[in-house]
Amino acid sequence: MIARISLAALAIALVSGCSTPSPVLGGKNIGYGDSKAVELVTNEFGSTDLQMIAESMTRSLAQSGILQGRPVVQVYDVKNKTSEYIDTREITTSIKTQLMKSGTARFASDNTQMQSQVDQLKLQNQSGLYKKNTVAKTGNMIAAKYRLEGSISSIVKRSSDYKDVFYKFSLQLIDVESGLAEWMDEKEIRKTTER
Amino acid sequence: MASRVLTVATLVAAVQLAGCSAFRSYDSELQETNQHLSSGNVDAALQLLEKNNKGEDKDLLYYFEKGELLRSKGDLAGSQLAWRSADDVVFKWEESVKLDTDKYLSQFGSYLVNDKVRRYEGYDYEKVMLTTQMALNLLAQNDFDGARTEIKKTHEREAVIAELRDKEYLKREEEAEKEGVKTEYKDLQGYPVAALDAPEVVGLKNSYQSAFSHYLSGYVYEALGEKGLAAPGYRKAAELRPNTPLLEQALLELDKPAAKTTDSDVLIVIQSGLAPARDSVRIPLPLPISGNLVITPLSFPVIKEDTSTAHFSEIYLNDRELKLTALNSTTAMSRRALRDDMPGIILRTSVRAISRGVAQKQLNDVNPLAGLAVGIASTVTEGADTRTWRTLPDETQVARVRLRQGEHQLSLPSSLGGSQVSVKIDRPFQVVTLRVVGNQVFAGGPALHVEPKATAQAVASLKQP
Repeated sequence: MIARISLAALAIALVSGCSTPSPVLGGKNIGYGDSKAVELVTNEFGSTDLQMIAESMTRSLAQSGILQGRPVVQVYDVKNKTSEYIDTREITTSIKTQLMKSGTARFASDNTQMQSQVDQLKLQNQSGLYKKNTVAKTGNMIAAKYRLEGSISSIVKRSSDYKDVFYKFSLQLIDVESGLAEWMDEKEIRKTTER
Repeated sequence: MASRVLTVATLVAAVQLAGCSAFRSYDSELQETNQHLSSGNVDAALQLLEKNNKGEDKDLLYYFEKGELLRSKGDLAGSQLAWRSADDVVFKWEESVKLDTDKYLSQFGSYLVNDKVRRYEGYDYEKVMLTTQMALNLLAQNDFDGARTEIKKTHEREAVIAELRDKEYLKREEEAEKEGVKTEYKDLQGYPVAALDAPEVVGLKNSYQSAFSHYLSGYVYEALGEKGLAAPGYRKAAELRPNTPLLEQALLELDKPAAKTTDSDVLIVIQSGLAPARDSVRIPLPLPISGNLVITPLSFPVIKEDTSTAHFSEIYLNDRELKLTALNSTTAMSRRALRDDMPGIILRTSVRAISRGVAQKQLNDVNPLAGLAVGIASTVTEGADTRTWRTLPDETQVARVRLRQGEHQLSLPSSLGGSQVSVKIDRPFQVVTLRVVGNQVFAGGPALHVEPKATAQAVASLKQP
């Protein structure tokens, strides 16, 4: 009997020994939170809105059936029509990352990366610093079949004890050759605060 | 005997208090400092500032003024260092507000302490202008990424301030009702009410949002290619200063495809004058003390506008007139801050005077001499808070132009001495900032060079036969 208990105790000790967390330094009122937790600190645009928009857009686009055979897509900036400092590029980066990870699309260099891309090609081809057979050849960049663009707008209303913010995010995928919009979706978010 | 000891002790306490910040006349200290600045002697201004702040524990105001003086001297790194210390103080304030707003508000609303013995924590517009000025320092060195950080901090801080003030005004209304103080600043006989009700003051949305700050943020984001963030900057600026063509134009241009040109997009920023001073005026108010209405003189702050620099609305670029658009007035913001604070100041000052009056009456009944001493001491210590960031520029005006890369000449109107500044434009986006105080022009950064006065005047006299 005693042997069995001590065995159990040993087992517990062993198991708990394995799961010892990393030591924590300092930190009285500081802690890590769940990055997916619903954030309701103020009713301005926040992390949850960004995640909600990115997720719903990615799902809709991936399930639409347009992106057959991993086409090349060029992402444009999302136009910010609100008066809030919303980093819209972070929304498109999230959408891009999720589409890329699921293997549904490939992405051409967008406006911001283009300069670095051109600079690197020039450096390799014109500086004479690199071994010939490792140099990337010019004229081989892949052009986009589709372009992805969108906008975010908001309607803000407030009274002395009530604030209502309505966001609308819309995104569309356009065939570069035909100019036709092949897919389009929007996400609406309403946030209200009572004082 | 005991009463005499008490009297002496009270007088000693009053004299001792005189040594501390309660008796520091910030207005006269800074008047002298600013005189040195407007005569172009920045080193003397800096020496005086150091002389007046000998203590180990420097406060926010010292760093505010030091940063601006070093910036005028052209020492951008030193200026940034001083302002970084100021930014730390503001950051701590911001954290304490975010962590426990109610605790902060109840401490601030304390009736016991006179405003001027409180540790200086800066007016809201000063906090917003601090990071805006820091961004200008970095832009003078073409550091757009650094400026982006300061600008992001500015609008995040603005949001914290907005939320705090919302709560504060609500709480104050409730308390004024509870204490039964119904005096408004319009009821103060002899108080310059018109200055607080001027259209440029009432027209502001609040005391802390600056159209210039948001316009600059739009420009920096645009220069960095982040149009999604540039748009709200321009839009907010346009909301704060409606019917300003420059701001509406910026928003329209943002949507146009980039022009195929090698010319630079240059933002010229002219900051002129000095922030207004705060002075104390005494106004008698009837207060209910121990059941009687007693006319008691109370001290209230007033804003004194700076007159060191003449107003101008154009400069000359390569000898051609360039109209400036005013985007920021510290005087208007400062007046607005006082206008919004006045109900709180009246409430705190009245409640303090009432409780002091009651205590003095009780003491008078027992010991008239001690009562008199307390009366003298309180009259001396009671005065409005006159501290405020004084070297901060008053007006900020801008012009946005497309310029060919290379050397250009900027000159000021002859009414301001007609100083000439040569500017080297060599970036696709570039910010050129000039500071004008009196007849002096200050410019920092590698791209600017203020030409010696003598030649400037010679050129001016040649052109005006």
